[in-house]
Amino acid sequence: MGHGHHKIEIKQEQFAVPAKAKRFAIGLTIIGLILAGIGIATMDKGGSHGHGHETAATKHEHAATAAAGGEIAVNEHAADAHANATEHHGNVENENFGPRAEFHKQNKPWTTRIWSNILIVGYLLFMVSLAALFFVAVQYIANAGWSAAIKRVPEAISTFFPVGFALAFIAILVAKSDLYHWVHYEHQHLTKGQPGFDAILDGKSWFLNSKMFLIFPVVLVVIWWMLGRKLRSLSVAEDAAQPGDVSFFKKSIRYSAGFAVIYGFTIAVVAWLWMMSIDAHWFSTIFGVYNFATSWVTALTIICLFVLYLRSQGYLKIVSDEHIHDLGKFMFAFSIFWTYIWLSQYLLIWYAHIPEEMSYYQIRYEDYKFNFLLNIVLNFLCPFLILMMRNAKRNPVVLTIVGCILIFGHFHDVWLMVVPGVFGPGQQIGLLEIGTLLTFGGIFIYWVMIALTKRGLIAVNHPYIEESAHHDVGV
Amino acid sequence: MGIIDNNLSLRDRNRMLVGIWEDEDKLVEATSELVHAGVKIQDVYTPYPVHGLDRIMGVRRSWLSIVAFMCGATGFSLAFWMIYYMYVQDWPLDVGNKPVRFSPSWVPVLFEATVLCTAFGMGFFFFLRNRMIWGIKPELLDDRQTDDRMVIAVETGEGVDEKKVLQIMKDHGAVELRERIGGVQTTI
Repeated sequence: MGHGHHKIEIKQEQFAVPAKAKRFAIGLTIIGLILAGIGIATMDKGGSHGHGHETAATKHEHAATAAAGGEIAVNEHAADAHANATEHHGNVENENFGPRAEFHKQNKPWTTRIWSNILIVGYLLFMVSLAALFFVAVQYIANAGWSAAIKRVPEAISTFFPVGFALAFIAILVAKSDLYHWVHYEHQHLTKGQPGFDAILDGKSWFLNSKMFLIFPVVLVVIWWMLGRKLRSLSVAEDAAQPGDVSFFKKSIRYSAGFAVIYGFTIAVVAWLWMMSIDAHWFSTIFGVYNFATSWVTALTIICLFVLYLRSQGYLKIVSDEHIHDLGKFMFAFSIFWTYIWLSQYLLIWYAHIPEEMSYYQIRYEDYKFNFLLNIVLNFLCPFLILMMRNAKRNPVVLTIVGCILIFGHFHDVWLMVVPGVFGPGQQIGLLEIGTLLTFGGIFIYWVMIALTKRGLIAVNHPYIEESAHHDVGV
Repeated sequence: MGIIDNNLSLRDRNRMLVGIWEDEDKLVEATSELVHAGVKIQDVYTPYPVHGLDRIMGVRRSWLSIVAFMCGATGFSLAFWMIYYMYVQDWPLDVGNKPVRFSPSWVPVLFEATVLCTAFGMGFFFFLRNRMIWGIKPELLDDRQTDDRMVIAVETGEGVDEKKVLQIMKDHGAVELRERIGGVQTTI
């Protein structure tokens, strides 16, 4: 409209993966494998967890005496209960922390750490790729025009979600009784009255059981995958249609609405089953939203980085700084959204001070204080302070740096959801963790670039492609 | 430069040429032509934001985001001082043995106060700077410029080729041309 006096030509583009980009992706994977290999070689493989638990137990007992300090410390009663539970199995109340402490104490095979890393990275990439599909759906539902020029990028990213899902699923299949203490408990088949009987886990077992755990997410993935495939095929069929044919667009809106409703309700279920159940005694009603926020901001970041890369290679000619600015705003805004949700979960639990709710934060605040605070620095302070200025959101270098911080930050966030609950205190991100992230990150980049070559880069017959080409956010 | 932008006032203008448009594309073309011809445009009035007009006219970036930041910082500071005075200095309360100093319970209050002051401050200073505030009489070049018409105003003076200006306006879809002397407009 505004540039009515000059017309922007909209041409189809075909992406071919540059050799340099292939080398980069493969190189990341190789470096990742090497780092992970060094990490595994230098890892303490002999029964370190028994020792680890002793420090955990003493720490928690110490916390009980220090509880009056008013900091985030365990409620005295609960801490006593915890200390007792590790020695003898008393009444139901005392069981609150008992089995988990036992779980940390038991000797797990050293491969558990590898599987936990594959679970973390697989889950993150799965959630992120699915959030990219949600991005496409949201654009249709909102009737958004600006994003038509970049929509092939989230479409390509979304093809990865079954792979990420498979990674997490394999890790769960192989190591579930070492990763999830409720699975370990389930295998004991205890009934009421028997020593070690856990009323909380027993009460949850109608939902939290191995069948539900494995089958339900698979059903969901099949549904998501079918809807995602339909959306992508409508999008590519539109390219070959007559200009001005909006029937594909209208159909896409309907499928997008269907996907968004299903996704909105079901993504939380996967988060409960696979992430929240790591601390099975604990629950948080906002946990699904929290996981969505993590995956959504990471997905926006990855979309932005891919768009920046394609532009730097001379592709996406109709994408201007205005689109980049909007993607930067998304990264900025949804980092704040993530913080808002993160704090909402933390603040209520901190305020209420109920032992069964605090178990999650107790170990993270006491034994993982550095990581707990680093989470806020990486995922809130960095994007908030760096991306606040307008020029930063239009600068590819700044966006790339903040993007890398955010991707690592949200990897670290998922790591912090998993590791304290599985291993108890004393873990840290090391070469194995970084290596796993790089390995699968490289595969992810390679996969998405191949997916980008499968169809034209520009949705040339999208009804809003003209509007998107003229997108302008003003001076 | 005061907070209220006096450059926007029309009161003391000697003589102005006023063109009226009904089509925004033609308005953008006319603006572009006038700028290319080196004519200094007083202002373009539209009932809604017309994309691209700001770039063509060479409007500089507004200071509003800086004002917003300052308002936000003010809100944060006021809330911080309020909480600190009430909750730490004047009347500390033991709520569930929570710390009174710098605890997470401060965060929602600080956040809300920051957002409140940013939003109200931005709105207030925006209207103040644009002379849309009580005490300042609105000066409209055409009653319908807030509805469905668009207006370009050019101030005449030395070095302004009036014939050329009027010709450009006429050629690019002006539905009406007027001259304005001492606040009174007559159709040319």
